[in-house]
Amino acid sequence: MAPAPRHPSRALDLQLRTAAAERGDRMNVGTAHSEVNPNTRVMNSRGIWLSYVLAIGLLHVVLLSIPFVSVPVVWTLINLIHNMGMYIFLHTVKGTPYYGVQFTASQKFLTITPIVLYFLTSFYTKYDQIHFILNTVSLMSVLIPKLPQLHGVRIFGINKY
Amino acid sequence: MRPEPGGCCCRRPARANGCVANGEVRNGYVRSSSAAAAAAAAAAAAGQIHHVTENGGLYKRPFNEAFEETPMLVAVLTYVGYGVLTLFGYLRDFLRHWRIEKCHHATEREEQKDFVSLYQDFENFYTRNLYMRIRDNWNRPICSVPGAKVDIMERQSHDYNWSFKYTGNIIKGVINMGSYNYLGFARNTGSCQEAAARILEEYGAGVCSTRQEIGNLDKHEELEKLVARFLGVEAAMTYGMGFATNSMNIPALVGKGCLILSDELNHASLVLGARLSGATIRIFKHNNMQSLEKLLKDAIVYGQPRTRRPWKKILILVEGIYSMEGSIVRLPEVIALKKKYKAYLYLDEAHSIGALGPTGRGVVDYFGLNPEDVDVMMGTFTKSFGASGGYIGGKKELIDYLRTHSHSAVYATSLSPPVVEQIITSMKCIMGQDGTSLGKECVQQLAENTRYFRRRLKEMGFIIYGNEDSPVVPLMLYMPAKIGAFGREMLKRNIGVVVVGFPATPIIESRARFCLSAAHTKEILDTALKEIDEVGDLLQLKYSRHRLVPLLDRPFDETTYEETED
Repeated sequence: MAPAPRHPSRALDLQLRTAAAERGDRMNVGTAHSEVNPNTRVMNSRGIWLSYVLAIGLLHVVLLSIPFVSVPVVWTLINLIHNMGMYIFLHTVKGTPYYGVQFTASQKFLTITPIVLYFLTSFYTKYDQIHFILNTVSLMSVLIPKLPQLHGVRIFGINKY
Repeated sequence: MRPEPGGCCCRRPARANGCVANGEVRNGYVRSSSAAAAAAAAAAAAGQIHHVTENGGLYKRPFNEAFEETPMLVAVLTYVGYGVLTLFGYLRDFLRHWRIEKCHHATEREEQKDFVSLYQDFENFYTRNLYMRIRDNWNRPICSVPGAKVDIMERQSHDYNWSFKYTGNIIKGVINMGSYNYLGFARNTGSCQEAAARILEEYGAGVCSTRQEIGNLDKHEELEKLVARFLGVEAAMTYGMGFATNSMNIPALVGKGCLILSDELNHASLVLGARLSGATIRIFKHNNMQSLEKLLKDAIVYGQPRTRRPWKKILILVEGIYSMEGSIVRLPEVIALKKKYKAYLYLDEAHSIGALGPTGRGVVDYFGLNPEDVDVMMGTFTKSFGASGGYIGGKKELIDYLRTHSHSAVYATSLSPPVVEQIITSMKCIMGQDGTSLGKECVQQLAENTRYFRRRLKEMGFIIYGNEDSPVVPLMLYMPAKIGAFGREMLKRNIGVVVVGFPATPIIESRARFCLSAAHTKEILDTALKEIDEVGDLLQLKYSRHRLVPLLDRPFDETTYEETED
């Protein structure tokens, strides 16, 4: 599960650190690594992708154990909750897990996960119309903000400050 | 920094194509698999290990460094731990916001609530909800000299570490595994203390001026000549504070248009100095010579960004021993690279001076290299000499330049006379010039302690980072709750340790860091090891999957090597 394409993101880390230093960024007191944003490292740490998948799996099992919801509803719920959580943590809460560099390995992972979830959900809901609309809207809400062109863009001025 | 995934337990430098060609410098040989080490150790007769040359003779002794990979289960459980803590943190923040729970941290006054917020609540999330819970493991007040044993003032908290009260008890005789007391000079008795007391009576405590004005004592001149002789360089300059030595002198050496190649895990003082200088900073992976070589090549081929002009200077910043990892810099290779690409080398020996090498002269001595190869040798007196302050050693022109151009020299108050005397006495002791063999014994005792302690811990099954010979021993804890638990359990058993977590280390690699000392006797180490063993079983810290064959009845000697069963 260890991400093999770690090296490209490292090369980019070098560049971004150069850029950061040239901008004269702030002092980090008490940190080991001389980088401005420690969150970039967390997404590349050992075992984080596995933990992420396991967390989704755990949520799935929890939802499945509610007695009166059917399997398609559970899958749609999982998709919606996951995408909502992703939207809140990555697109609402401010602070960058990427620090401006696009197409890192963890970015690709975080883009592919909702897509895979969408495929599974579409299969298990048997392509029912209402579920389809809900899931597609949710997927779009999470994929579109990830496009590189939308980095830093605030629609209708929401969340500007 | 992390070794390649694939279960290899020792560092194996990635051999990228194109980095090595015929007739060029090859990177130093590293004992990358312990099976090879065992075979080589068996092949080379005992006692001849020191002179085995490998790979062009860059390394006169084997370089054993290992950073075992985090077990996957432990990593996942660590994330689960942090996840649970984060969820509870959000819950507690919610309760605090709605005043259901008492709010202890700083908030603005009522009248100022509508202003732009003064305190960034979200940025302090980690401090408020994670650090505060285990805060009693840090900032413990000690009330005796930090020798092999120390007295700690007992304190209690009734509001979960938001405030502390002293009970009035003093926990006496706590085994001190946290002080940087490598050669045992942190004492309040003995010749160093007597000399310092004498000088205190003669010169007083304060200097009341800078070196440039009227604060240049004859003691300072004496100290600088002694430091130069100790290091084997032409001249040296001393400063009052080790951190200020780095942060104020690097800007004097490099500026805009220069390039700094800095190791990933360099200390904050080096990072600050590099940033203040205004030079371009590029970071190479920790102790990775391929990464450094690639950066050097790119720098020379491509020059400065945009203008493509050649760099005015290229300065490589490395440390002798990295205190969080316990690793030793690959100095022979760095020097070979520096000579090949004509860069300058700045070596920060804060932790390695006095602690490494057969005569205690630091990492240059440890590898048997020529001190003239290192352009700027920096170090501190805080760790092995039991004093405070820092020094820079190098060619006479360099030091003369620094005397006038360094902020530390021009604006900072010079070293206090009793401290200077402490350094002089301890340095003479290490060099053997005080007529006793105490210095040599201390250096040897430290080396024996290091080998013994590291070996015993590895046998017990803990994951220990770093080089075999480094007196800094990080023991991996990984999970956030174990950080607090380890610190507290060890204090209950009368052993004081330093535990470190995020953000001083990567998020899952929290550790306990032991600093060995020549003042530790074998009995003290055995007591500590017994307690660490117990706590390790209690907290399930024995993660290592590469078990060592335990030492049999072999007497301690420096030629023992690890044999692993894989």
